Amino acid sequence: MPRAGLESVLSKTLNELWDRMAAFAPNVLAMLVILAAGALVAGAVHLVVRFGLSAVGFDRFASRSGVRTVLERGGVARPASSVVALVLAWTVLAGFVILAIGALDLQIAVDLLSRGFLYLPQVLIALALVTFGTIVGAVLRRSVLIAAVNAGIPLARGLAAGVQIGVLILFAAMALEQLGVGRQIIVVAFTLLFGGVVLALALAFGLGGQSLARDILAQLAHRGPAAPADDARRHL
Amino acid sequence: MSARVPLVPEVRARIAEIGRVDLLVGIPSYNNASTVGHVVRAVAAGLAKYFPHARAVCVNSDGGSTDGTPRVVAEAGFSTPGALLVTHQLSPVHKILTPYHGLPGKGSAFRTIFAIAEQLGARACAVVDSDLRSITPEWVELLLGPVLQQDFDYVAPLYLRHKYDGTITNSIVYPMTRALYGADVRQPIGGDFGFSGRLASYYLSRPVWDTSVARFGIDIWMTTTAIAEGFRVCQAFLGAKIHDAKDPGADLADMLVQVVSSVFDLMGTYERQWRGADGPVPVPLFGFPHGVGLEPVPVDVERMLATFRQAARDLREIWELGLARDTLADVVALAPAEPFRFPDPLWVRVVYDLAVAHHRAPVAAQPLLRALVPLYLGRTASFVMETADSGAAEVEHIIRRLADAYVSAKPYLVARWTAGGR
Ligand SMILES: Nc1nc2c(ncn2[C@@H]2O[C@H](COP(=O)(O)OP(=O)(O)OP(=O)(O)O)[C@@H](O)[C@H]2O)c(=O)[nH]1
Ligand SMILES: [Mg+2]
Repeated sequence: MPRAGLESVLSKTLNELWDRMAAFAPNVLAMLVILAAGALVAGAVHLVVRFGLSAVGFDRFASRSGVRTVLERGGVARPASSVVALVLAWTVLAGFVILAIGALDLQIAVDLLSRGFLYLPQVLIALALVTFGTIVGAVLRRSVLIAAVNAGIPLARGLAAGVQIGVLILFAAMALEQLGVGRQIIVVAFTLLFGGVVLALALAFGLGGQSLARDILAQLAHRGPAAPADDARRHL
Repeated sequence: MSARVPLVPEVRARIAEIGRVDLLVGIPSYNNASTVGHVVRAVAAGLAKYFPHARAVCVNSDGGSTDGTPRVVAEAGFSTPGALLVTHQLSPVHKILTPYHGLPGKGSAFRTIFAIAEQLGARACAVVDSDLRSITPEWVELLLGPVLQQDFDYVAPLYLRHKYDGTITNSIVYPMTRALYGADVRQPIGGDFGFSGRLASYYLSRPVWDTSVARFGIDIWMTTTAIAEGFRVCQAFLGAKIHDAKDPGADLADMLVQVVSSVFDLMGTYERQWRGADGPVPVPLFGFPHGVGLEPVPVDVERMLATFRQAARDLREIWELGLARDTLADVVALAPAEPFRFPDPLWVRVVYDLAVAHHRAPVAAQPLLRALVPLYLGRTASFVMETADSGAAEVEHIIRRLADAYVSAKPYLVARWTAGGR
């Protein structure tokens, strides 16, 4: 009995599993087909949009209207038509992925999707904030770095990094706020981090500043203000 | 075209009152009260002495000076040049004082001057800086004469300057203009020019007045446009250029970026011309070159070098965006070397690399141009050390050697330009 029993239990379980998988297989197959179709359609959209747009002179329009400029500032070097085509293609693909997950007909997938849809606006806004903050931070870091080096400020890199981190923290906090993550936590974390950064900067400047201050004082004492002694820097 | 340039009502009324003129001299100014009086008197005297029969007007285009510059211009002894001169002005010289619209800058001031020249139908025009200490009445004849009598359209100045004055001209703008467009104009951004009424109208018609041309890019833009558009260009020897030290508040980075981005923008506009241009040819010269004494320009080599060396440590990531890999490696390797030298061919590659980067993505290249400042300071420090004991002729020789390096490297520029800088 135990032997037969074990066998029958095993085979029963396996059979059930098999049946389930067999029942589920069409769904998986459907999902794969949908994904494949999605990839094809997205690829086609990309090609058509890319060449269609550049054929009608969209890139020229983009550089004249300043769209190009904005992209370049964000570090995007590809032509505007290619950017639009990529965004559209990915959107199409995302639609197909959602369909594909739906095809699995799993309760959990359905739940995830519907909750995701409810939460989507906040997530998008948060993502946009983080993206924007990253760009602003990088741009500011670069400008501060160049200006500081040109002005001969020591620790230019530290200063620039500090500015960038400050900007990132600011935007990250705003993004978290959007997602509704506990406010108190954010405020406390922000204060701690920001305070830390400021303290670090102050220390850095204090330490690096000693020699700077010494130089400046020495300069003042020996030959008056340094600026006018430097004319060749300024003539065309 | 000048209809598109807004002029204030008083100026429009003055133009209507004056009617037409033969000659116009423009003076842009911004806080130059201590020197502009001398400039205006020199201009008045020059007009009276050399063009006594011409109807002439002197236009001061002021950028909102707060030191009383317009008052000095208004009061400058103008109708009584007799004390100064043998000849008297037979027809009256008029004076127009005008503010200008648009971006604040020297270029916007010039635009207003061009518009007034067009409306008054001036045949020959000149512009002179208001911070000049060495201008003489003869300059008026030298800048206007070739236009009026020889049918030239553009007269570039040629002066003797102290070896450390005009380093942007000597290390970038002069050699570039010569190598690219094949015209050996020694002072393409001197600031004092003569030009025909025809050329003034052409300038006005160009859609550049919201770019760096409205600021310090104006000089190189005028010169390059005249050359590349096939106008007849000559030079006039004016003697010494002695002018005020720059306002210490003025930012080198701003000026350098304005001038250099104008040069690079023009390379885009006139690509066909510079790629097809022949080797450099001399440009006709008026006047009698002679030696002069010059005021020394002080420099601080240590500070320039310190900035360059710091940048070689801290700005590599920015330079990387525009400099070719080899160029970057060679530049960074210079920093620790003693004695410090920035070789001509390397400097030329730096400038050409940046031109290509600007061509590929003008906006993304903006920070890159600001990051050119320490490179330029390094190159200038090297130049100062190399010429520490040199006389004028030897310095000129060294500048010419650099200019030739620009010419020899032109194939490198063309190759990278065509390859899109990859
Ligand atoms: N109206 C007006 N004039 C300006 C402005 N900036 C400069 N200028 C004038 O332009 C002329 C040249 O300017 P500078 O500051 O002397 O420039 P620079 O470095 O001496 O230039 P170079 O003489 O070419 O070496 C002077 O007559 C200034 O008054 C401005 O913003 N507005
Ligand atoms: Mg000057």
